[in-house]
Amino acid sequence: MALLKLDRVTKRFGGLVAVNEVSLEIEQGELIGIVGPNGSGKTTLYNLISGIYHPDEGRVFFEGRDITDLPPYERAHLGIARTFQISRPFGSATVRENVAVGALFGTLHGQIGVEEAMEVADRYIELVGLTPERDKPAGALTPVEKKLMEIARALAMRPKLLLMDEAMAGMHPKDIDKLVAFLRKVRDEEGIAIVAMVEHIMRAVVGMAERVMVMHQGRKMVDAPTAEALGDQRVVDIYLGRPLEEV
Amino acid sequence: MTWEQLGGNLIQGLILGGVYGMATMGLSLIFGVLRVVNVGHGAFVMVGAFVAFWLFTALGLTPIAAIPAALVVGMALGFLFFYSVMRRLVGAPELTSLLATFAMGIILEEVVKLIFGTEFRGYNWDVGKMDLSVTVLPLAKLYAFIGSVAIAALLYFWFNRTRAGTAVRSVVEDSEGARVCGVNVGWVYALSFALGIGLTVTSGVLLTMFIPVGINPYMGGVYTLKAFVIAVLGGLASPYGAFFAGVIFGLIENGSYSLFALVPGLEPFAMTRFLSFAILLLILLIRPTGLLGTK
Amino acid sequence: MTRGATKYLPLLPVYLIYLVLFLVAEGMPGMWQLMAMLVFYCAVGQAFNIFLGMTGYVNFGYVAFLALGTYGMALSIYHFHQLPLGVGIVLLGLLLAVVMAVLLALMVGAVALRLGGAYFAIATIGVNEGFRYLIEGTKIWGGSEGIIFSKQLLDTFGREVANKLSTFWADVSVLIIAALAALITLHFIRGKTGYALMALREDEEAAKVMGINVTKYKLIAFVTSAALAGLIGAMAWGLKLTYVFPPEAFDISYTVEGIIIVMLGGAGTLLGPVVGGLLYGLAKYWLTVILPGFQLLIFAPIIIVVVVAFPEGIVGMLRQRLKGTPFEPFVL
Repeated sequence: MALLKLDRVTKRFGGLVAVNEVSLEIEQGELIGIVGPNGSGKTTLYNLISGIYHPDEGRVFFEGRDITDLPPYERAHLGIARTFQISRPFGSATVRENVAVGALFGTLHGQIGVEEAMEVADRYIELVGLTPERDKPAGALTPVEKKLMEIARALAMRPKLLLMDEAMAGMHPKDIDKLVAFLRKVRDEEGIAIVAMVEHIMRAVVGMAERVMVMHQGRKMVDAPTAEALGDQRVVDIYLGRPLEEV
Repeated sequence: MTWEQLGGNLIQGLILGGVYGMATMGLSLIFGVLRVVNVGHGAFVMVGAFVAFWLFTALGLTPIAAIPAALVVGMALGFLFFYSVMRRLVGAPELTSLLATFAMGIILEEVVKLIFGTEFRGYNWDVGKMDLSVTVLPLAKLYAFIGSVAIAALLYFWFNRTRAGTAVRSVVEDSEGARVCGVNVGWVYALSFALGIGLTVTSGVLLTMFIPVGINPYMGGVYTLKAFVIAVLGGLASPYGAFFAGVIFGLIENGSYSLFALVPGLEPFAMTRFLSFAILLLILLIRPTGLLGTK
Repeated sequence: MTRGATKYLPLLPVYLIYLVLFLVAEGMPGMWQLMAMLVFYCAVGQAFNIFLGMTGYVNFGYVAFLALGTYGMALSIYHFHQLPLGVGIVLLGLLLAVVMAVLLALMVGAVALRLGGAYFAIATIGVNEGFRYLIEGTKIWGGSEGIIFSKQLLDTFGREVANKLSTFWADVSVLIIAALAALITLHFIRGKTGYALMALREDEEAAKVMGINVTKYKLIAFVTSAALAGLIGAMAWGLKLTYVFPPEAFDISYTVEGIIIVMLGGAGTLLGPVVGGLLYGLAKYWLTVILPGFQLLIFAPIIIVVVVAFPEGIVGMLRQRLKGTPFEPFVL
């Protein structure tokens, strides 16, 4: 049984079809890269998975269960976590309090108290290397630190599926490598968490993803193991803007 | 109650509704462009009422003359409030602009109270009546209605045929896109806010042509609620939706008054006031984006 | 971080202030009314803060819940004074007050809290208007004339006890309610609810995605705030004044005052509404002597300045200053 399954999901905004009959499956523990030019529908796809949007057509399944009509907070309880393209920290709260929110309301919600959540938070803050900033207001962090905090916050939710949106944008190549290594480690140790990244940046995709999906104008064009996908002529065409041969 | 009476009532409601609708256009304009709910709306209506009152009793000017005066006063107030307060609130959380506009309304009420005191004022502008068979319509009310329609029409013309109006529409559609096309978005915000306030103050004049008594600093609150019901009914961001919703609201208000009057044990005036609120909740429950609006 | 008793440290300054107010009132005969007014404003501030301060949503119809509380007390004493309940009649009044306030809050909240802040504000603008005119229009509960129940109170308790209830006990009850509100606020801030409210206040959509049922938490804050308002109204207006009159009970200026107290003092903090209540109450008292009726004209621009430039309010700024000092755990 796939962890996440989308069955011909479509989302329209007025006359524009942002996501067009996309079907995909993600297994437990997979490392996936989703790439595609701006406007190809990646973020909309994420919003459909995390529940911010409801599809106009198609269904979404998580661990075999139809979650299409579930609100975002219930999907979080089931184990779907995400980060945002533009960081959305809870600005006037400390880093620790931010990450604790993840721990309190993620998959452990209802079973975990505030003090325990703080301990979980401290652990993940340490993992991403933000311990010195722990008691600073989140709004005062640098952009890179904010991204790391968002990751810690999402991981504190103990998710089964982690959707990362453009987490690497603006990062130094060395930092990208470090983050990729970190995510691999998280996948290996926590086992359950899937890390799906939405990226333009090839370095991250090659370093991390085992499988790559390429989005173009709302459709999923390619879905193959990384090396194969990157060698695909269609992918090259999409990125260089040449017209695709009719698929 | 006879059919004639009901018919007469509805005609009066239609006329009143036009004024209500016009009164709400400013609110919708401000929300449509700046995404700000002017919670102090009623206070600006009150200012218009006082403008009409003062010009009539102190200078002997008819309310018709008060209309352009009110528009000027309103736009001046609007620019003043925008540049002193609202401009700093772009991007601030919703709560901030709600409280700021609320406080603006309070300040207006208190200042007017300082100048005019709390007594109920009124004036009498009798220009005769028109006898429709089902009801007698004071001409002042008819002029108020004509004025409302005229202003709505002018606004339509301005939005669609002038450069400034088109610039405003472009900002409503897509402020970033407009900016990239060279539109001075900051100025559009200022103009829209000022125009919205101007329209609201002007509606106060028209309202007094309808109800020339009971003018006092705290009269605005009632109109804030009515305006919100109308705005939500017509689609919060749509000035035209607001106008038509206003007409509908006027009809409902007057019609319901007659109906409530038929039920013993009910006090009809208070019940119509309650009805506004009930309608508001009902719409918010069923279709918050308004029955006539789009987004 | 906060274990055992240290969790309750922030209550110390609050309770200290309340204690001082009570002692001054008891000790100096002329000061009782002033102290009662100050305590009233602190209580209202705390109750209002639980919603406005913690969710960042503003309930413009707040006074309706104070009014409903008053009606609860009025109805209980007016209609049931014949029953041999003794003091129970006052308790019944409190119960009615809370029940009615909670019911109204649930009704309005269920409809309006699912919507965003602007629509919610619009919905609440009409709550006190709507409810007042429902009462006047259907002529229930005394209609537009209200209810006077001083006679019923006298009949039940006799002159001396009735007097004591209306003066001493009514005001002390408000103090107790204020203390209760402070405790609830602390529990909210430090507990899971506090984190949920903080998150939804900062970024509602991000909060949803992190697993927070934002509507549920908004409703919890809303209903709690309303219930406390009901209690305050029952005591400070009901038992104390022994009458309820719609135009006074539903007067929007109390909502305005609540907003001033919370925002000036520090929205979302524990000590803020107390500080705000004291400042506003004292200012209003002194202004009544020199410039009566001016307090709104002075405070309304202050609100604008606060929300534009100092949204954290006085206590918010104080907390920033006290970071790292030994006073930090006492100011929340």
